[in-house]
Amino acid sequence: MSSSTPAASQDISIPPSVITLRRTAQLEALYTIIRDKTTSRGDFLFYSDRIIRLLVEEGLNHLPVVKKTIQTPTGATYEGLGFEGKICGVSILRAGEAMEAGLREVCRSVRIGKILIQRDEETTQPKLFYSKLPPDISKRYVLLLDPMLATGGSAMKAVEVIMEHGVPEERIIFINLISSPEGLQTFCKKYPALRVITGWIDDGLNEKAYIIPGLGDFGERRYCS
Amino acid sequence: MSGLLTPAVLLQSTPSSTNVSPDPTPSSSPRPDPLLNTKTLKNAVLKSHGRPPWYGEDGQPCFPAFVIGIAGGSASGKTHVARQIVRSLGSIPTVIILSQDSFYKKHSPEEIALAFASRFDFDHPDAIDMQLFASCLSDLKALRQTNIPVYSFEQHQRLDETKYLYGATIIITEGIMALQDPALRELYDLKIFVQADSDVMLARRILRDVKERGRSVEGILEQYLRYVKPAFDNFVGPSSRYADIIVPGKDNSVAIELISTHIRRQLEKRARQFRRKMAGTLSRSLSRGPARHLTNEELGLVVLDQTPQLKGMFTILRDETTPRQDFIFFIDRLATMLAEKGMEMLPYRDKTIETPVGCRTVGKVLDVESLCGVSILRSGGPLEQGLRRVVNDVAIGSLLVQSDSKTGEPLLLHVMLPACIRERARAAKTWVFLLDAQIGTGASAFMAIRVLLDHGVPPAQIIFVTFLVARCGGIAMVRRTFPEVTVVVGAVDDGLHETWLEGVGASMDVGEDDDLDGAAGRKAWVVQPGMGQIGDRYYL
Repeated sequence: MSSSTPAASQDISIPPSVITLRRTAQLEALYTIIRDKTTSRGDFLFYSDRIIRLLVEEGLNHLPVVKKTIQTPTGATYEGLGFEGKICGVSILRAGEAMEAGLREVCRSVRIGKILIQRDEETTQPKLFYSKLPPDISKRYVLLLDPMLATGGSAMKAVEVIMEHGVPEERIIFINLISSPEGLQTFCKKYPALRVITGWIDDGLNEKAYIIPGLGDFGERRYCS
Repeated sequence: MSGLLTPAVLLQSTPSSTNVSPDPTPSSSPRPDPLLNTKTLKNAVLKSHGRPPWYGEDGQPCFPAFVIGIAGGSASGKTHVARQIVRSLGSIPTVIILSQDSFYKKHSPEEIALAFASRFDFDHPDAIDMQLFASCLSDLKALRQTNIPVYSFEQHQRLDETKYLYGATIIITEGIMALQDPALRELYDLKIFVQADSDVMLARRILRDVKERGRSVEGILEQYLRYVKPAFDNFVGPSSRYADIIVPGKDNSVAIELISTHIRRQLEKRARQFRRKMAGTLSRSLSRGPARHLTNEELGLVVLDQTPQLKGMFTILRDETTPRQDFIFFIDRLATMLAEKGMEMLPYRDKTIETPVGCRTVGKVLDVESLCGVSILRSGGPLEQGLRRVVNDVAIGSLLVQSDSKTGEPLLLHVMLPACIRERARAAKTWVFLLDAQIGTGASAFMAIRVLLDHGVPPAQIIFVTFLVARCGGIAMVRRTFPEVTVVVGAVDDGLHETWLEGVGASMDVGEDDDLDGAAGRKAWVVQPGMGQIGDRYYL
C-alpha cells in the first residue's frame, strides 16, 4: 500500500522474528476496506474477521507438528502430520477481544485469557489493571491478540505479564493486523525470540502516536461507531 | 389463441401456474402425468429423467435441440397434438413447450384500453413480438438459456418479470402464427399445421368460451367475425403451405404416430453421430486419465501452500476414525482457506481512500461486477460455508449431477442458478466459484462447466474450488478441454481406483459418483488415499 505521506518503513529493516502475510492484491483490497473511513461497521466486522482468520492460520503454522500415520476410509494409509502442544489465546482488552471470534473459527473452543492494560496518567507508562489467564498457561503456547501495534507499550507489558505466569518467550506468538515500523523495532528488540505475525506494516506513527495510514481506533470502529 | 380469455385460463400464463418445477428426485414411483393437465403444457419444461451429456470430448455441444412448430386455427387442437406427440415419444430427456401467447407485444395505454373493450386485434401477426420470439427460440435451440416474457391476460400487458428456461432436447412451439414468421420457420426442424373445419373450430370455441370462460354466445360470435375469422383467412390458413405435415384436428392417431416415429428417428440419428464423435464415451476416457502422472504445474492447478497446519488438517480429514463434529469443523476451515485462495484469482483495481486518521492512501478494490457460487450437489455443499465466510451474502446456486447406474454417464437432474447467471448479459460479467468436494473422473466437473458456458459465463471467469484432485483422473482432460478455467485445490492425490460400493447410503457421495437408484451397490471411482465419501461424512 502506497501512501501520500512519506514512507518511513524503507529506513527501518524488518526484524527476523516478524512474519508478514503475502501482499496479494486481495489482501490489499481487504485492508483498503477496513482502512476506509466510510466503511460501515458491518463491513468492518466482516472484512476484519477475514484478515484475522488469515493471520491466525499463519500463526498456527509456527506451532510444532509430529509425524502421524492414519488410515483413510478408502483403506489406504496416509503419512500425515499431527498437531502437538496445547494452545490458548490471550487478548488485550478491549480491541484484542475483537479478534477472538476469528480465533475460535480456526481453533474451536480454544481457551482465551484476558489482560487489561491502560496508560497510567501519572507516569504515562502502560499499567496492568486486570488479568485473567488460564491456570495451566505455563504449559501452553500463547497466541497474543491485539489488532494494532503502534508504540508497542501495551503489548510489551502484556508479554511481561504472560511471562510472569511461566510462559517462555519463544512459546508466545503475537498476532496483529497492522504494525508501525517503530513499534516492531522496539518490541522485537526487547523480545527477539517471540514471533510476531502481522498483516501489514504501515508507514509510521504521527505526532499523536496513531499509525498512518492506519485505520483509526480498531475497538471503536468494531464495537461503537 | 385469442387474447380475450377469462381468468380461469388466464392463470395459465401467470408464472405461478406455468412454472412446472422439474422434480429433482429421481424416483420410479408413479407421479401424476403432467400431460393430463393442459395447464402444464404452456411454457412448460417436462422431464422424464436426467439430461445425459450433450457435449463431446472437445467440451462443445454436439447438436442443437430439435424444434417443432405447430400452427393451426384457434381451437383447431394444437395443444392436443403437442400433448399427443410428447406422450407418444415416451421417455425423452427434456421437452420445453413454448406458447406464442407469451410473446404478445408490450402495449401502449391506448391499446390496453382497446383490449379491455374487446376492440384490440390479438389475432393479427403484428400483435406478436416475432423478433423476440425468434431470438428466445434460437437461444433454446442453441442449448443456451433464455428468459421468455410473461404476458398477463388480466392486465392485457407484458409483465416486467420473465421466465427462465434452459436445457431442452426437444422444443415445441405452438400458436396460430407459429408458421407465419420466416425467422421462426428457419428454426424449425419440423413444421406442423393442424387442420380443422372452420365450423368445427367455431363450435369448439363457443363451447370452450361459454363453459370455461363464462362468455356470452353473442360476444364470442362478434369477436369471431371481427377478428378470428379474418385472421384465419388472411394469415393462419395460408401459412399451412409452409408445413411439412398437415395433421387433422381430430382422429389423428396415425399422423401422431408418423410424426413421433420421425422425431425418434431423427434423435437416434443425432445420438449415433454423437456417440461416434465421442469415440468411446467421454466418461471412460475421463476416468482413464493421462498415460503418466502429471505434476501440479503441468496440470496448471492452484494448490494451497502445503504448510504444516494444512497437512495436519488433511491428516484429520483423511483419518477414518475422525468423529463427525471434527470432520465438519475442519472441512469448514479448509473450505474457508480455499475460498480465500480463490479470491486471490480475481482481478483488483486501484482505489484511493481516506482513513479515519485523515490520511489519503491508494489501496485496491475487487474489480468484479458480480460474483456467485454454484455448488455441485451433494458434495459441493461442504464448501458453501467457507465461501459464505469469505464473500458476504454470496448467492449460491446448485446443480444436481448423478451418474446413471447402468451407463455410468453423468445425468443433470436439477439446475438452480443465481439470477446473475440466468440472464445472459449479466452472466458475461459474472465470476463463478464452482464448488465440488473432489475431482476424480471429472465427469461432473465437465458437465457443470458446460452448464456455465451454456449460460454465457466466460471460461476465464470460472474458478473451480475443490478439496481434492486425483492426479491420474479426469483432471488432465478437464484442464485440456477448458484451459481457461482456474482450479483451486487443497491437495492432489495420486490414486483413482474403481471399487465396488455396498449399500444405499454409501453410494451417494461425490457429485460425479452419485448413483441414481442406489440399490444393492455399484461400481464407483474413489480417490486414493482420499478422504472417503466427503458428503456422507459431512452430512450423515
